[in-house]
Amino acid sequence: MTIQEIFFYLFSIIMLAAATMVISVRNPVYAILYLILTFFSAAALWILLEAEFLGIILVLVYVGAVMVLFLFVVMMLNINQSRVSEGFVKNLPLGIGVALVMLAEVLMVLWYKNQTGVDNFPIPVPHEQGYSNTAEIGERMFTAYLWPFEIAGVVLLVAIVAAVALSMRHREGVKTQSVPQQISAEKRDRLELIDMPVEGVKKN
Amino acid sequence: MDAILEFIWLLIRIGLFTLLPLILMVAYYTYAERKVIGAMQSRIGPNRVGPLGLFQPFADVIKLLLKEIILPKEANRYLFLIAPILAIAPAFGVWAVVPVGDGLVWADLNAGVLYVLALSSMGVYGIILAGWASNSKYALLGAMRSAAQVVSYEIALGFSLLGVMILAGSLNLQAIVNAQSGGMLDWYWLPLLPMFLIFFISALAETNRAPFDMAEGESEIVAGFHVDYAGASFAVFFLAEYANMILMSALTAIFFFGGWLSPFEGWAFLGDSWLRDSSIFWFLAKLVFFMFNFLWIRATFPRYRYDQVMRLGWKVFIPITMVWMLVAALFVFNGIVVRGA
Amino acid sequence: MNKIIRYFKSLLMIELFQGLSVTIKHMFKPKVTVFYPEEKIPKSNRFRGIPALRRYTNGEERCIGCKLCEAVCPALAISIDSEMRSDGSRRTTLYEIDLFKCIFCGFCEESCPVDSIVLTDFADYHMEDPKESVLNKQQLLALGDRFEQSISKNRQQDAAYR
Repeated sequence: MTIQEIFFYLFSIIMLAAATMVISVRNPVYAILYLILTFFSAAALWILLEAEFLGIILVLVYVGAVMVLFLFVVMMLNINQSRVSEGFVKNLPLGIGVALVMLAEVLMVLWYKNQTGVDNFPIPVPHEQGYSNTAEIGERMFTAYLWPFEIAGVVLLVAIVAAVALSMRHREGVKTQSVPQQISAEKRDRLELIDMPVEGVKKN
Repeated sequence: MDAILEFIWLLIRIGLFTLLPLILMVAYYTYAERKVIGAMQSRIGPNRVGPLGLFQPFADVIKLLLKEIILPKEANRYLFLIAPILAIAPAFGVWAVVPVGDGLVWADLNAGVLYVLALSSMGVYGIILAGWASNSKYALLGAMRSAAQVVSYEIALGFSLLGVMILAGSLNLQAIVNAQSGGMLDWYWLPLLPMFLIFFISALAETNRAPFDMAEGESEIVAGFHVDYAGASFAVFFLAEYANMILMSALTAIFFFGGWLSPFEGWAFLGDSWLRDSSIFWFLAKLVFFMFNFLWIRATFPRYRYDQVMRLGWKVFIPITMVWMLVAALFVFNGIVVRGA
Repeated sequence: MNKIIRYFKSLLMIELFQGLSVTIKHMFKPKVTVFYPEEKIPKSNRFRGIPALRRYTNGEERCIGCKLCEAVCPALAISIDSEMRSDGSRRTTLYEIDLFKCIFCGFCEESCPVDSIVLTDFADYHMEDPKESVLNKQQLLALGDRFEQSISKNRQQDAAYR
């Protein structure tokens, strides 16, 4: 067993265990923390595969930003745990059904491509020293896949605009602070220096 | 067996050459902070423990370690104890890719900048979990503020680094430094002046330092996320904050001020003096300069109001970085700045 | 136009750099700190510190147990009991001041007809037990003996203004 294999099994075990914990722990904050651990292990596995760009981006985007917002929301909501588990039995058949459908779909694709078997997945050839995954992805993205990349960008932009448009509400009669007005305040707007004779003291 | 021995030897070297100096720097940074801010406020600062108060950090550390770690009754004890570790681990972990001199780096990662951003974005978990696990409203408010603030400023921080990436043509920190060679005026602070300022100000916000110390906000939420921490667990938070400040100073030096490069590289009239040689000395000098700036800014500015912090991040910094990104690209396109790598 | 100038001012952070220059200038200015236990700033002769009971020069305690100070004390910090002494004069058997209650207003000193209770200019005291906050008659007299010199000197200097 090489060191790489040891690391692979270590990270895989951590990842699978953490993923199981995500759906089995009661406390939603714990669930999110286990999800972070899952992402982290997945990133480690990708880095083992020499996909360091994807691995680090996974940590940067999901762990660094998305999960922070998740945690933010979960901490704000006080989820009633007993009510969450109420519908478990009722929805169990539906859940199992959906899971089975998904499994069947994956198997069908693999069967169709005739790739049911470990031997069909070749071991990737390690790249030589100095090979930059990031540069490679960038080059592909801006040459061969330029259109899909740009379209994806536009789709995300539309999603942002839509989200803002949906959540923006102008309410009448709400008093708010005008920050530009506040920060543009200057000394002469607010302060008046007046010359005043001192009372009770004789000037000589 | 050999591999294991080598691994242990590596750990010892990391401890000896990175962790130990870092912890010593943190210790004396706290001392320097009290001295510098004291001086700026016409005070003296600590001067009782040892000559000029030089042993003050050790006295503080011993005091903190001997104090009791208090676990609040309703706190989530596991997360409460894990949180400080989560806060400090990224602050030390980033040093793996930070080159302190030519070739003096533990991991010469190709995606070094991304690694830096990814790990530094992990630091916020320590703060959030500390705030939530303490089960105190002040701590939770501090955690909330900090989470939103750090996530927002990470964008400005990352965007301001995009200019560096465009000019250097690499994500490798060593390559970025080498691309800046040629003397003080070839460093990226000049073509990327707005980016540099935004990076440094965002670094203040990322490390929750004044004037962006909303997470602590002693006058509003009494100490924010670490209000319930005491003794050694508080000491770890303290260590993390200062380690982060040192890290951000180092990153500013590397991205915008040429890392270990000498500012007088191309100045022939200086002769063959050591001033023209690039060495770890220059890196340390720049590091100390930016560390001083952190203190200087803290001594000067009052705390921002929270909504203005968010406004500054989203409505001022991000648009400026976006515009200057185009300007940087034009610089490269027109050959005004020679692209590295 | 003004708006544009202001906009550029804030963009160039001119006011921020002004602030920074103030702090860096102050960094090299002489420091004003007093090294407290070694150095002390001069006190006014009207300084109101820890209370004390004075004696006459022949060693007789001044207090005649009139309880005016007890009556005037706004913080109710003074408690007094008095009895006839063997020579027929009225003297206090109990004279206690609780330093936690005392607000150092000096009303007791103003009300005293024999200048017995005074506030000394001594303020650097401490106690290791909260119970020690109550000063009894012996302690107050001892304080008076200890600071008699400064008490009489301060009273003399201030006499012209009373």
